[in-house]
Amino acid sequence: MAAADYESWYQPPKGDSEIAKLTDVVLRVAEAKRPPIGWYVAFTLAVGMLGILGISIAWLFWTGIGVWGNMHPVVWAWDITNFVFWVGIGHAGTLISAILFLLRQPWRTAINRAAEAMTIFAVMCALIFPGIHIGRPWLPYWMLPIPNQMNMWPQFRSPLDWDVFAVSTYFTVSLLFWYVGLIPDLASLRDRATTTIRRFVYGAFAMGWRGSSRQWHRYERAYLILAALSTPLVLSVHSVVSFDFATAQLPGWHTTIFPPYFVAGAIFSGFAMVVTLLVPARQFFGLKGVIEMRHLEAMNKVILATGTMVGYAYAMEFFIAWYGGSPYEGFIFFNRAFGPYAWAYWTMVSCNVIFPQLYWFKGVRTSLVGMMIINVLVNVGMWFERFVIIATSLHRDFVPSSWGYYIPTKWDFLTLTGSFGLFFTLFLLFCRYLPMVAVAEVKAQHAHTHGGH
Amino acid sequence: MSPVSKKSDKPTYWRSIAELEGRPEFEQFLEHEFAEPVSDLPPTSDERRRFMQIMGASFAFAGLTTGCRWEQDYILPQTRRPEGLIPGEPRYYTTSMDMGGYATGLLAKSYDGRPVKIEGNPNHPDSLGAANVFHQASVLELYDPDRSKGFGTYSGGKRTDSSKDEFIKAIKPLMAAHRSSQGKGFRILAESTSSRTVADMKRRLLAALPEAKWYEYEPVSADNIRLGSELAFGAAYRPNYAFDKAAIVVSLDSDFLGSERAAIRNAQSFMQGRMPEKGEMSRLYIIESAYSMTGGVADHRLPLRSEFVKAVAAALDAGISGKGSPSAEMGPAQARPAAAFLEDPKVQKFVAAIEKELLANKGKSIVIAGEQQPPEVHALVHRINAVLGNVGSTITYYPDFTADRLPHKDAIIQLGKEMASGAVDTLVIIGGNPVYNAPADVGFDAALAKVKNTIRVGLHEDETTMKSGWQVPLAHYLETWGDTRGYDGTIGIQQPLIAPLYGGPSVIELIALLLDDSTKEGLDLVKRTLAASMGDDRLWRKAVHDGVLLGSGLAPVQPVLKPLGAIALSDREKAGVAVGNGQLELTLAPCPKVHDGRYANNGWLQELPDPVLKLTWGNAALIGPATAKELGVDDQTLVKLTMNGATITIPAIIAPGQAPGSVRVVLGYGRTAVGVVGIGSRLDYGLIEDYAAEYGAGDLELVGVNAYPLKTTEFGRFGGGLNVQPTGDTMKLAMTQMTHAIKDKIGRDEVQRRVPELVREGTFEEFKEKPAFAQEKVEHKALLSLWQEPVSYDKHKWGLSIDLNKCTGCNACVVACVSENNIPVVGRSRVIQGREMQWIRIDVYFRGEPDEPELAYQPLTCHQCEHAPCEQVCPVGATMHSREGLNDMVYNRCIGTRYCSNNCPYKVRRFNYFNFHEELKLEKNQTKKMMFNPDVTVRFRGVMEKCTFCIQRIQNVKIKAKNTRRAIQDGEIVTACQQTCPTGAIVFGDLNDEKSRVRALQNGPRSYAMLEELNVRPRLKYLARVKNPNPELS
Repeated sequence: MAAADYESWYQPPKGDSEIAKLTDVVLRVAEAKRPPIGWYVAFTLAVGMLGILGISIAWLFWTGIGVWGNMHPVVWAWDITNFVFWVGIGHAGTLISAILFLLRQPWRTAINRAAEAMTIFAVMCALIFPGIHIGRPWLPYWMLPIPNQMNMWPQFRSPLDWDVFAVSTYFTVSLLFWYVGLIPDLASLRDRATTTIRRFVYGAFAMGWRGSSRQWHRYERAYLILAALSTPLVLSVHSVVSFDFATAQLPGWHTTIFPPYFVAGAIFSGFAMVVTLLVPARQFFGLKGVIEMRHLEAMNKVILATGTMVGYAYAMEFFIAWYGGSPYEGFIFFNRAFGPYAWAYWTMVSCNVIFPQLYWFKGVRTSLVGMMIINVLVNVGMWFERFVIIATSLHRDFVPSSWGYYIPTKWDFLTLTGSFGLFFTLFLLFCRYLPMVAVAEVKAQHAHTHGGH
Repeated sequence: MSPVSKKSDKPTYWRSIAELEGRPEFEQFLEHEFAEPVSDLPPTSDERRRFMQIMGASFAFAGLTTGCRWEQDYILPQTRRPEGLIPGEPRYYTTSMDMGGYATGLLAKSYDGRPVKIEGNPNHPDSLGAANVFHQASVLELYDPDRSKGFGTYSGGKRTDSSKDEFIKAIKPLMAAHRSSQGKGFRILAESTSSRTVADMKRRLLAALPEAKWYEYEPVSADNIRLGSELAFGAAYRPNYAFDKAAIVVSLDSDFLGSERAAIRNAQSFMQGRMPEKGEMSRLYIIESAYSMTGGVADHRLPLRSEFVKAVAAALDAGISGKGSPSAEMGPAQARPAAAFLEDPKVQKFVAAIEKELLANKGKSIVIAGEQQPPEVHALVHRINAVLGNVGSTITYYPDFTADRLPHKDAIIQLGKEMASGAVDTLVIIGGNPVYNAPADVGFDAALAKVKNTIRVGLHEDETTMKSGWQVPLAHYLETWGDTRGYDGTIGIQQPLIAPLYGGPSVIELIALLLDDSTKEGLDLVKRTLAASMGDDRLWRKAVHDGVLLGSGLAPVQPVLKPLGAIALSDREKAGVAVGNGQLELTLAPCPKVHDGRYANNGWLQELPDPVLKLTWGNAALIGPATAKELGVDDQTLVKLTMNGATITIPAIIAPGQAPGSVRVVLGYGRTAVGVVGIGSRLDYGLIEDYAAEYGAGDLELVGVNAYPLKTTEFGRFGGGLNVQPTGDTMKLAMTQMTHAIKDKIGRDEVQRRVPELVREGTFEEFKEKPAFAQEKVEHKALLSLWQEPVSYDKHKWGLSIDLNKCTGCNACVVACVSENNIPVVGRSRVIQGREMQWIRIDVYFRGEPDEPELAYQPLTCHQCEHAPCEQVCPVGATMHSREGLNDMVYNRCIGTRYCSNNCPYKVRRFNYFNFHEELKLEKNQTKKMMFNPDVTVRFRGVMEKCTFCIQRIQNVKIKAKNTRRAIQDGEIVTACQQTCPTGAIVFGDLNDEKSRVRALQNGPRSYAMLEELNVRPRLKYLARVKNPNPELS
């Protein structure tokens, strides 16, 4: 690779050609009297979908989880599929912020704020599902080790309990990381505020940030520590989620490849979601100068790499199923690809392995339309991956008399739709009221790379 | 003016309002100290029991209801508790249940006056401790909230409430008029019963009304056995079979282990002869048109149209009577029939093999014909058995004690004609449901309109009630006194467990009412009838205690054969094996779940998977794979069946093993007036109101399709001339197992590969050579443990053994489990979704060619694994390992993650997707609460449940043993499934007890653990199935 090419994507964002204007470019979105009309349209849609989520959950609480299509033997279906899907989406942010930060990848500053926000919202969506999928959804706190007079205690051999800790830790750390990163920009918003309310609210959240060098020093230390803390979490959370399956004795689940395979898949889907969100966002809010094509291209390269890893995992699962010699496992994989759920399996393979290969072509990975199509397909494919793992393994396990075929109900569709409603509502609120790009970091990186102002 | 002021000698100090008011009952109370029914005399044993029952029932009512739905009565507290009655302790009473004219002795378990569970009565020859699905489900029938409640009159299908007094007022002049006209125009149509008291009441009625007539009708009748006996012997005899003594059993279209009379006793004796460990095994051949339970256990099965059986019987007679040595009085053997199908090599080989085997096993064989087969076939079978010398060794004949009635078919034809001609003024319909199930050509419905007075006596208000005048609520058998007779005439006592819930009379009490008999109470009527057999009261008390009058069975007879003329065969009966419209036959059979339709409102039975195809909530046209291909019919497509001028539209099932050219439909479905369960097939919560709101009350989808319109008096149970037309529409059927319907090749091949490892079976020869053949079917590495076992199981170690060789798939265990463990009914749509709740299931697998498959049953309960995969994954510890090795479910703790079910390799866990007991909120369903077993928690929505090995029974025995400081005896703890199993296939016990049966069985060579290679160490082990095929046929 020529040095110039390397430079071009490694460089931090230029910041709308003039670094001085950067603050204004980013912050004016949050300060504008009215957001663009497109925001209103999108927000109305998103809130409508959020309403659907509310109705779905209310109905579920009222009647029972039987409103979904879950049945014997597929007792986990879309509920857990959605959970793993959202947790997976929630991987990109922290990876971008923490790992790329530690690896000194300055280009990440163009997208890390939005990616982190997305992570937090995705994990919030994910956290809904373990809560509502249980038969008695008013009791999820029984999975927590809360001391009580009845001496009831979680059963720590269960991977579901590991999940509780893995996901909640990840959520807490991601939130802190995001919030710490926001503080200097919140202070900028406070300083530029024209109304008392804005000054008060942003000021409260800015926690008295004055930008002194002592504060900067503390800030950068804290940021580094949080990045170091988050890094293992990125790898651990989806590994632990994969233990739900890998430690079970069900053929198709009981696979040692699951932890790395799940992590790769999570980064894959997370990056695809980040690009899917940022392409329209940079169009609407005039941030093309900050979130540049070369950033998107870099993202797409990661998607290509992780997609290929996922493809390798698919192939390896088949190999081991054959090599391992367990007739039950062999059947599960054969049945996955050619049985009644073959349509889901091949949807997954096409979306996750075949289409991302188009990113080998520069023309495709730098085309906004091309990347939108492929990244949406990747998200569809990654949802199907979880569905395929869960449903096809369960629907034909050991005893053929208990084989079945899962069919979702309208409530399954509505709940999934509703979770997107929650996600988009939160993301749109974030776009409207918080700086979508880490202004302070971009500036700092810029200064750092260009030898200072 | 109040009664208080009227009374001048008002007491100053009073003990009760009743005394203050001077109510007459208080005066009586002062006189008797105890209220009725206790008399002045010291209570005898049975009266005391009666007293206790009534008191118990009253308490139950008082505790469970708001009190406004039953007649108000003054009760007195038990200041002194009756001896032996401990609240909360179950008590057992003997009783017996009559169905279709013969009865089975039962034991009913009662908690505080509420019968909650039925078991078999070990003293009764037709039970020997076992019970069938109908007996088990009769508890639900008793508490069915849709039962007829109170007297009423019907006009144009609309009910007007009435009362017993009004009824009596109305029938008094009516009966007086009939009396003066000698009973002209007075008819009774009753269902079959074995009761001698009913027979006595009938005699009294006919004596008082000589011109009156009493008919009996059953749509599913065994009359052909009797008619065949008359044809063969000139008298009506009942054959009774000792299958345990037979080496060869040949069933000609007979489901003698399943739906036919005395099936429990048959199954018991048959399985006695099928134990490979004994060194000898009988061999069963069956020729049948549709897969039956008997077909499922047969060694050789030939699917053949029911029509062809007559020619087969004639051919066998030709071969056997020809080669045997029939005495001169028997007459000549049949000529070998020239039937085209007999030329088919498969059929030829099969019949020849049977013939050879029968001749080689003279005196040690049984040939048995299905009760639906015409009398000629039965006559031929009687001949064949006699020639083979089986009579007296494997077959005993008893006189048929119902021989004095008209055959059911003739009875209904005759009554129909009389009604149509206007000769019937008053018709009393006792039980049954003729408007629904009389043969179509009788035109019962139309003829009923010409009857002036109709009095309908029934448990439910059904199709017949809608067309009748008076509706009299019939008392359930668990509510009234009666007597019954078993298959061989053994007298049984039907003892009530509870006072009638809805105040109805029993049949005998009703006749007494009509006759204005001086004896009115059921108990007195029964005692009066049985006085001759019982002699003194001690014998009666013993009979009530035992449930049977021991030794009252009829004496066997030595029948003498009459010459039998040549049996004529129609062209159809001699046809070839071609299939297609024009050659098709239709066979109608009683449903193994709702019988003739009488149990249509019984949720336990509706949701029971049928023994072979696992169909619930409805019926279907069963068509063989080859025939279906010919007709262009696919699984679950709707087809039009046209027969005898009537057409029904019904979903089809491609049924493996269905004879080519034969279509089977079971009777008893498509009821239009029955109750919530029987009508609303799409019920979600069992709430008809919800259903009506969602789908509109006028658009109720019936459960199944009524096949009675196809049944005429001439047609009987099968016949040719059926036309099948696919409509192109489909209908989803609620089946709990869809293995046979797997369409993709991958799945089919895998089932075929896997099943021999799961359900292990071998031949008798293999077993003799290597008894442990089953243990070597799956190779696996040594099963080691990763950790030190945390539980030592040093006290008890419960285990279960299920003998696959003995299972007939009869489902009795499933209903017993439902009843014992308060398992909810979920409804048709939920079964389609795969949410049935039964804890024990009987898996069925077909093997081999779809048109002639073999079948294997495998009952599955929770395997109670020692390394239980379910336990490790529960995040809240709701399923825990007990020190005795059971996987206990803590319902309170369960939050319903369902992870345990994912990790269960046997998929035996069941999840409450909704509150399946929601219906109990309705006021009308309060009686159902009385049905629950108080020892078992009723589960709420969102929790997982599964088989517990009946832990409540284990605990009860443990407590008893501890209190008396003794060890638990082997066999003392029986699980509900084990207790009711007719063949003793299920054995429970302590694996630590060196002398226990279960330990011996699990250590035996035939024992194997299913999916042992997963190292879950199940406590349930199977005994491999051993078949005894004829080497010449295989």
